[in-house]
Amino acid sequence: MTTASSLPVLLVAAPLAAVVPILLTGAHPNRREAWTMLAALLTVGLAAVTASAAAEGVVHESVLGSLVVGVPLAFRADALGALFALLASVLWLAASVYSVGYMRGLDEHHQTRYFAAFAASVGTTMGVALSANLLTLFVFYELLTVATYPLVTHHETAEARRAGRTYLAFTLSGGVAILAGIVVLYAVTGSVAFVAGGVPGLGTEPVLAGVAYALLVVGFGVKAALVPLHGWLPDAMVAPTPVSGLLHAVAVVKSGVFGLVRVVLFVFGAGTVRSLGLGTPLAVAAAVTMLVAGVLALRQDRLKRGLAYSTVSQLSYIVLGVALLTPAAVFGALVHLVAHAFMKITLFLCAGAIYVETGVQRVGEMGGIWRRLPATMTAFAVASAGLVGLPGVAGFVSKWYLVLGALEAGAAPFAATYLLAGLLKLLFLWPIVLIAYADRDAIAGFRPLPGGEGAPHAEDGGPLAEDGGPPGVEDDDGGRGWDRRTPLTESSWQLLVPLLATAAGALVLGVVPDATPFWDLAAAVTAEVFPGG
Amino acid sequence: MSDAVVVLVALPVVAATVPPVVSRRVDGVGWPVAAAAATAQTALATWVGWRVLADGPLRTVVAGLPAVLGIELAVDRLSAAFVVLVAVAGLWGLAYTRRGGPRSAPGASLYLLLLAGLTGICVVRDVFTLYVFLEIAGLAAYALVALGDGRDAAPAALRYLLVGTVGASLYLLGVGYLYVATGALNMGVLADRLATVGYDDRLVLAAFVLVAVGLGVKIALFPVHTWKPDAYQAAPPGITAVLAALVSTVAAYALVRVVLAAFTGAFLAANPRLVAGLRAAAVLSIVAGALLALPQRRVRRLLAYSSVSQFGIAVAGLALGTRLGVLGGVVHLLGHAVMKAGAFAAAGTIEAGYDARTVDEFADAAAHQPVASAALATLVLGLVGIPPLVGFFGKWYVALSAVRTGAWATAAAVLLSTALSLAYFARLLQRLYLERREGRPTPAPVSTGMVASGVLAALAALGLGLASAELIAALRPAIEGVPP
Repeated sequence: MTTASSLPVLLVAAPLAAVVPILLTGAHPNRREAWTMLAALLTVGLAAVTASAAAEGVVHESVLGSLVVGVPLAFRADALGALFALLASVLWLAASVYSVGYMRGLDEHHQTRYFAAFAASVGTTMGVALSANLLTLFVFYELLTVATYPLVTHHETAEARRAGRTYLAFTLSGGVAILAGIVVLYAVTGSVAFVAGGVPGLGTEPVLAGVAYALLVVGFGVKAALVPLHGWLPDAMVAPTPVSGLLHAVAVVKSGVFGLVRVVLFVFGAGTVRSLGLGTPLAVAAAVTMLVAGVLALRQDRLKRGLAYSTVSQLSYIVLGVALLTPAAVFGALVHLVAHAFMKITLFLCAGAIYVETGVQRVGEMGGIWRRLPATMTAFAVASAGLVGLPGVAGFVSKWYLVLGALEAGAAPFAATYLLAGLLKLLFLWPIVLIAYADRDAIAGFRPLPGGEGAPHAEDGGPLAEDGGPPGVEDDDGGRGWDRRTPLTESSWQLLVPLLATAAGALVLGVVPDATPFWDLAAAVTAEVFPGG
Repeated sequence: MSDAVVVLVALPVVAATVPPVVSRRVDGVGWPVAAAAATAQTALATWVGWRVLADGPLRTVVAGLPAVLGIELAVDRLSAAFVVLVAVAGLWGLAYTRRGGPRSAPGASLYLLLLAGLTGICVVRDVFTLYVFLEIAGLAAYALVALGDGRDAAPAALRYLLVGTVGASLYLLGVGYLYVATGALNMGVLADRLATVGYDDRLVLAAFVLVAVGLGVKIALFPVHTWKPDAYQAAPPGITAVLAALVSTVAAYALVRVVLAAFTGAFLAANPRLVAGLRAAAVLSIVAGALLALPQRRVRRLLAYSSVSQFGIAVAGLALGTRLGVLGGVVHLLGHAVMKAGAFAAAGTIEAGYDARTVDEFADAAAHQPVASAALATLVLGLVGIPPLVGFFGKWYVALSAVRTGAWATAAAVLLSTALSLAYFARLLQRLYLERREGRPTPAPVSTGMVASGVLAALAALGLGLASAELIAALRPAIEGVPP
């Protein structure tokens, strides 16, 4: 049931409206952050209302006039849109609290610009989530690129500017491909609206439909970081960590994945994609991405870069699930979209907390760091277990359905790919957890580092002082040890509470996934796009 | 009521005579007289536009002669859009020139003559009188460029004059051929007689090419664009903004009008190779303009070359020969006028207030001129084609129409122009916000009017973008003659 309502517009407008007061109260940090919090809370509330309606089959829709002739500027909170909106808003709240701790902890410059751009990014992500047609989605997709650019380049160093250029070049070129795809699609069908099961009439023009599909997949594939279109993401890790966490592990890349889901299931439809044979190429691309990125992650010493490659790999779990076109796989993909978001943001928030508290950015310097950050590293271990796919954490549930779906589709190689990718995750994350928990000397030489840096303590003991973090206690032998802290003293609450909350979310999704609204929404989407089964 | 059309042209001409006369006795009357005339012109243009929307086209023949002999003036919805654009941009430009100059009495007269010529082009319906107005506007523009401060103003104006005159002469030659072939100058009469003479008549074909090339010079399509970067570089900044908004835009309107009203859609349909040639020229302009913009170091030249590329998109829309393509081209013309004028105004504000000319010198301008920089950044993103700014929508319609008609190269060029324009504009955006400037600039105060002109343009670019579907719907009746 569809009802005309202003709820979807408000959901998009709330974060965007916060930009103005944030800019105006730049001189008073507490007041400025109050606006961010207010907008984040309001957005979560609105998203919760919208999501509970969508789960019951009530779809709120707002039409705001014509975008171009024949295509309205319209927002529609169907189950899929509500799922993404709820996810992004909940994690924005966590990332907002965390941002305050992070930016103030590091005494970062241009904090007003940062918080304003952050709110704008979330608002445009909401627009992506709730767009009722592909062209409206494209508008917000492009604006999301613009809004995140100042965040990627926040540090204004040569490296950051280069990353920003790469980011713009990749994403806006992807945007050109998407626009081209939309133009072709519209020329063929005369419609770009999202219809569960696909826009009718595409099957009659197989060549043009294939062209449009290829353009759209390549275009959205940029932000979804399909190999070889992923090049911007590891570089973009130069951004402040909350940005990497929320935007480059959740909002931006998930917008790309979300766009792919919309294209495959709501524009072309499972039937058309299957009959035109368009699912398999996408599935192969996703499978290749999973493995290649999984291997590349192993070679990274910088924690954030490693996590970025892990993100590239994980995103393709979702893409592959969608490309398999079976109900179980699609359901698994949607649950994984949520599960990965909670797990990956936890890992990034942990990485940021490690950096703020100790100045450590490289895996090699993390030996025994759990003493210093016990709760943070616990959260890190939990999220890692989830990404690997151990039962009890979010990642297991989604992967179960993904593998099931692959087998249901009769695609055993893809099921094997999931398992293999999980193994790669284990190889990537286990050593990090091990290093963090083990005594430094015990793991010396365990993890050969690229660039011949050798054992973790080969660093000359300087990075802490250099980075301005609180120095560790000097060991007798001249190396570094960590002073022992409790969860109450290890960090500021603004950093700790959000990352523990997202880790708890990952656990809840692993233990009682069907108690979360995401479960019902994912089930509703699956029922919508596969009406028969 | 039809007399209002005559007044539209006569008002700025009459007003243009006032400053030189009065300034013999009183100083500083130039700007106020121009402001009063432009305000009246805007009010009149708005009223005429509103009447046209409500009651349909206004039409009059000067001195009451039959159309075949007399000078026909008419305002339909398409003309009205450009008449309003000229009047509003004329008034808007004065907000900038009050402080930014030129403020002399001759400057004000030339400014009003420019508006008169441009308005004339928009309303006249015979091809020869169109030439006359083209020359009036052209001469005023050449002289206004020469009012620039720098040493290069005079050579740039001379170059503009030479190239512009060649363009006008080619157009006139085309008009002569048309007259020889048909014995008519009125566009409506031409349309009828051309059908009788035959669309494959050599004289007619030559006339089409000459008219297209002549107006192509005025539009500054590649490779006959050479006057534009120099002129925009040398003119006073406010004048550059107004020239960028209007001169090439109205020339492109003239091309649309002559092609659709005199030659007609049937002529285009009968000569697919001619149309393909026009499309190829447009595509070449899109690509070459962008490539030429890439190495530019001065901001005004960067913006000028960007225009070469952008006008290619508008002409491509016309050259598709479809209703949607033409409408897309017209929307792009109107949107580009607003965005490019605003970009020049905002850049001019930074030039004046932050002592910056080159892209490198614009570094960190956002910290010193935050409002003008924000306006410039927004307008540049609009020119790149980021929705919902208006720059996106013209491209959408042109690309859609190109795909529907199977003009794949045109579609690809129009879509890729986004990436191309990003390639040359990204440098500017990055400098504005992320880099620090070497060597201290000497900040100077700028007037509120100068800053406001950029902001107004940015807001207009957003508003036009959100209202583009309504704009298309309003313009559609004016080009019913074109196949859909």
